[in-house]
Amino acid sequence: MSVLTERRVTSLVLLLVGAALLSQTFGQAHSGLGAFSPMFFPRIVLGFWVAVAVLDIFAELRDHHVVTRPRLLRVTVIAVASLAFLVSMTRIGFFLAAAPFAVVALVTLGLRNPLSIAGVAVGVPAALVALFNHVLTLPLPTSPFAWWF
Amino acid sequence: MIELLPQAASLIFTIEGIGVLVLGTMLGIILGALPGIGSTVAVAMILPFTLTMSQAPAILLLLAVYAGSVYGGSLSAILINTPGTPQSAATCLDGYPMAQRGEAGLALGWSTVASMIGGLTSAVVLLLAAPQLAALALNFGPIETFALILLGLTCIVSVSEGSLVKGLLAGGIGLFLGCVGGDPITGEARFTFGQFQLISGFNLLAVVIGVFALSEVLLRAASRDEADHGLVSFSGIVLPPLAAWRGRIKGLIKSVAIGNGIGILPGTGAATAAFISYAEAQRSSPNRKNFGKGEPDGLIASESANNAVTGGALVPTMALGIPGDAITAVMLATLTLHGVTPGIRLMADNPVLIAAIFSGFFVINLMLLPMGMLVAKGAAPLLRLREGYMLVLIVLLCAVGVYFVRGNPFDLLVMGVAGIIGFVLRRQGMPMAPLVIGMVLGPTLEISLRQGLIITDGSFGEFFRGHPIAVVLVALAIGMLSLPLIGAWRKKHAAPE
Repeated sequence: MSVLTERRVTSLVLLLVGAALLSQTFGQAHSGLGAFSPMFFPRIVLGFWVAVAVLDIFAELRDHHVVTRPRLLRVTVIAVASLAFLVSMTRIGFFLAAAPFAVVALVTLGLRNPLSIAGVAVGVPAALVALFNHVLTLPLPTSPFAWWF
Repeated sequence: MIELLPQAASLIFTIEGIGVLVLGTMLGIILGALPGIGSTVAVAMILPFTLTMSQAPAILLLLAVYAGSVYGGSLSAILINTPGTPQSAATCLDGYPMAQRGEAGLALGWSTVASMIGGLTSAVVLLLAAPQLAALALNFGPIETFALILLGLTCIVSVSEGSLVKGLLAGGIGLFLGCVGGDPITGEARFTFGQFQLISGFNLLAVVIGVFALSEVLLRAASRDEADHGLVSFSGIVLPPLAAWRGRIKGLIKSVAIGNGIGILPGTGAATAAFISYAEAQRSSPNRKNFGKGEPDGLIASESANNAVTGGALVPTMALGIPGDAITAVMLATLTLHGVTPGIRLMADNPVLIAAIFSGFFVINLMLLPMGMLVAKGAAPLLRLREGYMLVLIVLLCAVGVYFVRGNPFDLLVMGVAGIIGFVLRRQGMPMAPLVIGMVLGPTLEISLRQGLIITDGSFGEFFRGHPIAVVLVALAIGMLSLPLIGAWRKKHAAPE
């Protein structure tokens, strides 16, 4: 997908999401309650969203931006690794989730020195766990295997 | 406010108080110097460290990080020609050429003194202006509050870097995100789609950190530009001799006034102030021919103006609860997390705390000079840090920050998703500050509008009758919205000539 198409598709998705959400505000039991209705303000906001999204699509169709293509593989790996880290840190503990994330992210970002990668991937999460769990006593999630990490 | 200073001093000048000011300023300088982190991310990263602190030290720590990071941005601007924060972009223009000819220490000396003076004046402005504004706002009912928030939302126009339509769209998305969860009047769930975690709405900080910090990490990962940080030789800050200030004081005063004036206007920001001040100095300085080649007047203009913005920007944030930009939006969220609700009642309900915050801000700016001299030399090698390490560190610290707010796994997921959506929208050219401003101001806008309509029996015609302050505020809002349109119209009609 070209960068230009990517921008137009994003604009279209924003319009469709806004319109879908706006449709949710109609047909509810209390839609006639005026300012008392829970949907009173969201309807105004979503109406505004849809109107501006339409303008945005027109602007995108007229404009021809020169934007560099992203490193798609690199950004996808970092995004997935970040999400996996964020979801798993409360289940397997901060340290066990952070160390593999750091290894994957550092390798993906082009770092190749195994000693530095291992040092940062283990050292930084370990230092954070030590600081928060054992010094500040503000516990980060720990693993199901040992209380101290 | 002045009469509360002795009580305020008892909150600041404790071991904890001095400790957080020193530590916060130091961390702020270091984080501000690291390209890509910026003031907003720096404040968000430090937030978890404040959660166990009492109100005054916690808020002072964050203010110290804020002020320190604005100054810290000049270190990388001068030493590696890469502004650590957007507000230091103008500093590169004369700072780096000075560094290239072997005067890096002197360039940092000029920027340090100018930053300190700019920051100190802004602290005085904050101390004097915020209580006056808050006193005026004490008379506000729901209709005036609605008009005020509407005016606050118009700052979206000025923070919509490049595209007004995209800025407004981001603002609309932010307003909608503020609607998710329980209805503030009836308590009924809205847009939760059966997810009980959404009953209390999206966690503001998770969204803020996602759309600013995590999306920044993804943008940098996606970028094809490899950062080349060639550090010039630097052996410490050299303060400019007093005689060198001759002929430059007038320019300094002008830059400080520009910074303070722009700071108070919601949504204008330190980067704008720095460039306007630089342009004015370039127009009026006797050394204007040397601008861009390493002229101290250029450095003084940009650094004094961007630091002068810090206090000014806090005036509407603290007194009216209106964040002027992304940094003050994060500060606003942070204050709320610490049980301090910025806005109309803030000054009346917490006079001693506010006096402590304002006078602490003065002390922070006073400390920029010694802390800058102490930290700069040690921080310089950090500028050689590979980007990969920095990005991983940002993700880890942001996760810690979001986790500590409520300990809720759902917030971490929100942060991750907000980061990915933020990345897509920022690639689209959509600014993220309007989204946060919409999300912060949305709930108050909704409550005041609905309360106002209930008072007037649902009549929009009666809404503003008998509320002259609200009428003036709405007129100002319309004026603010019209300015870019008038500008565009004038530009279009001037073009054929």
